[in-house]
Amino acid sequence: MSTAARTTWLRELIRKPYFWGVVAILALLLLNVLKDPNYLALTVNPTNGNLVGNVVDILRASAPILMIAVGMSLVIATGGIDLSVGSVMAVSGAVAMVFMKDAGQSGSLGVALGAIGLALLVSAILGVVNGVLVAYVGLQPFISTLIMMLAGRGIAKVITEGQNTSASNESFRWIANGFMFGLPVVFLIAIVIVIIVGLVVRRSALGLMIEAIGINPKASRMAGIKPSGLLMTVYILSAVLAGVAGIMSVGTVMTVDVSRTGYQMELDAILAVVIGGASLAGGKFSIGGAVVGALLIATLDKTIVFLGISSSATPAFKAIVIVVLCLLQSDRVRGWFVQRRRPPIVRPEPLPAEPKKQEVPA
Amino acid sequence: MAVQRRFTKILGLAAVGAISISLAACSSGGGESDSGGGSDELTTVGFVAVGPEGAWREANETNVQDTFTEDAGFDLKYAPATNLDQKSQIDAFTSFVDEGVDVILLSATEASGWEDSLKRAQEAEIPVILLDRGIEPDDTSLYVTRIAPDNVEVAKEVGAWAVEQFPDGGNYITLEGPAGVGVVNERNEGWNESVEGSKLVQVAAQTANWSAEEGKSVTETLLKANNNDVQMIFAQNDEMGLGAAQAVEEAGLKPGVDVKIATIDGTKAAMQALADGQLSYVHEYNPLFGETALDVVNKALEGDSVESYIIVPSEAFDSAEAAQAVLADRKY
Repeated sequence: MSTAARTTWLRELIRKPYFWGVVAILALLLLNVLKDPNYLALTVNPTNGNLVGNVVDILRASAPILMIAVGMSLVIATGGIDLSVGSVMAVSGAVAMVFMKDAGQSGSLGVALGAIGLALLVSAILGVVNGVLVAYVGLQPFISTLIMMLAGRGIAKVITEGQNTSASNESFRWIANGFMFGLPVVFLIAIVIVIIVGLVVRRSALGLMIEAIGINPKASRMAGIKPSGLLMTVYILSAVLAGVAGIMSVGTVMTVDVSRTGYQMELDAILAVVIGGASLAGGKFSIGGAVVGALLIATLDKTIVFLGISSSATPAFKAIVIVVLCLLQSDRVRGWFVQRRRPPIVRPEPLPAEPKKQEVPA
Repeated sequence: MAVQRRFTKILGLAAVGAISISLAACSSGGGESDSGGGSDELTTVGFVAVGPEGAWREANETNVQDTFTEDAGFDLKYAPATNLDQKSQIDAFTSFVDEGVDVILLSATEASGWEDSLKRAQEAEIPVILLDRGIEPDDTSLYVTRIAPDNVEVAKEVGAWAVEQFPDGGNYITLEGPAGVGVVNERNEGWNESVEGSKLVQVAAQTANWSAEEGKSVTETLLKANNNDVQMIFAQNDEMGLGAAQAVEEAGLKPGVDVKIATIDGTKAAMQALADGQLSYVHEYNPLFGETALDVVNKALEGDSVESYIIVPSEAFDSAEAAQAVLADRKY
């Protein structure tokens, strides 16, 4: 009985969309441990009591991806897509840096808060533009956010006059590089924001309504859901979260690089959401899945560097990991294995593993 | 149906908007040259440029624009590429040939695929001068000359400095630009030429895509992968080096003492960092060669022969004092 219960529990777990994402993270960590047995070791910096280690670096690197992935998962749930998050990151970073530079390098907390406020405000405005184009003008999300993706980088260049701009402000720097309770501040902030967003959308009807729009906009309208307001909310939220990601991103080096900050991050975000088990066709989302996806991407990026995979082979390595993961997630592909495995199940116990082993290399 | 029609209409409007914006951009670009007016006295120069790419490019192209002024007897038509796209450069090049400008200056975003365009210019007897970037295959009969600082030479000097700094050897990391770019290959080639046979050991080479943020993130991980046993970092541009310096500091090491960082480019930010002791060596990759270009243009128009490759001299800075001395009037 207990084994049967355990297998159903295991089957449930495997069916969870982000299960394979977690497996992939563990596999990548294992790969690193094979290279260096001390990979997972955490040490405490004696001078300030902060944790130091590769895992801490991964958590820190995952923070901006977490932000945009959560925003993206809501947008994708409505059946849309937000290609502009990377550019919004650049704009937000540019606004913050230029504001602090013009404030005369005073480095006070007030200046940092002003910079953050202004950056988030500008991001929200870009989100409003996306939202209006999608919800009221009725343009396809792909097109409207593509426009913003191209325009955003241009806006960032105008703001910084085409230069990479740096500023110094200890409070702002602390957000991306500081530690609290021994953990990186940037990761704590990201997790708090993710939890808040998760609670708001799942504890209220908001999440259901967002999914309803994605499943069938007409039916949801007839059921009394106003899609325009919800779409606006979702695009604004995505842009604001991208703004937060931009602040985290430029904060690490206190420099905004208008052509590189947030470059192709929209792809990372979409990937994180897909790894988390959401469908690009819309209609469902999983905040937990997006978190797993974001952590996986950060782990993957760090693993590539740690293993010393040569620069030219990096994209291929990344692609292989992700293709394998998507294959594992696909019900149909798993179905093939299940079908071929079925005959041995009738037989006594020791055999089931063997046929599987034969199938895998094929 | 009605919805669909409305949608098409809106798309159309959007397209018209986009076109009018790009037209406006064109006309504002052309505006400067139109004010030149009498092309009888002025020499028209078409500048097929790269456009916004970073501080170095900005300094380079502003310098060219500031040199070929009307006062100097030139009417410069500046055509930056849209989003570093070669297609837009070829279009601009072709229209300069059709227009019949006197000289074309070309900074190619991509090295290959220029033969046909260059042949057309040759048939129209328009001399072409390459600025900074070379072409592939390098057929010197198709252009007058290439004016550029020499990446291989610059990287070789950085390597020589590193070998001299570490006579007893040491571990080093290379932070590269994006894989496959010509500049990256040339800078690696020059560096390797100097370092080969020395006791320096390369423990890792990774791309950080010319960016400070990635430079920091990559260095952070590479330091951990090597248990902080790294004595030197060769960053192929300033930005990555500046990022690396921050990672070194966060790892509890002292840049300049525990880990020496060498970079190429020589932007103002890097000079500041060198003066502050964050970086140990900065080799300039001199962007200011407008004057040389002016000289060559005049020679080409008079039919004088010019060498097929003119190397722009670049300076090396290896101490805080040297950086301090030039910091005040650094242009880029």
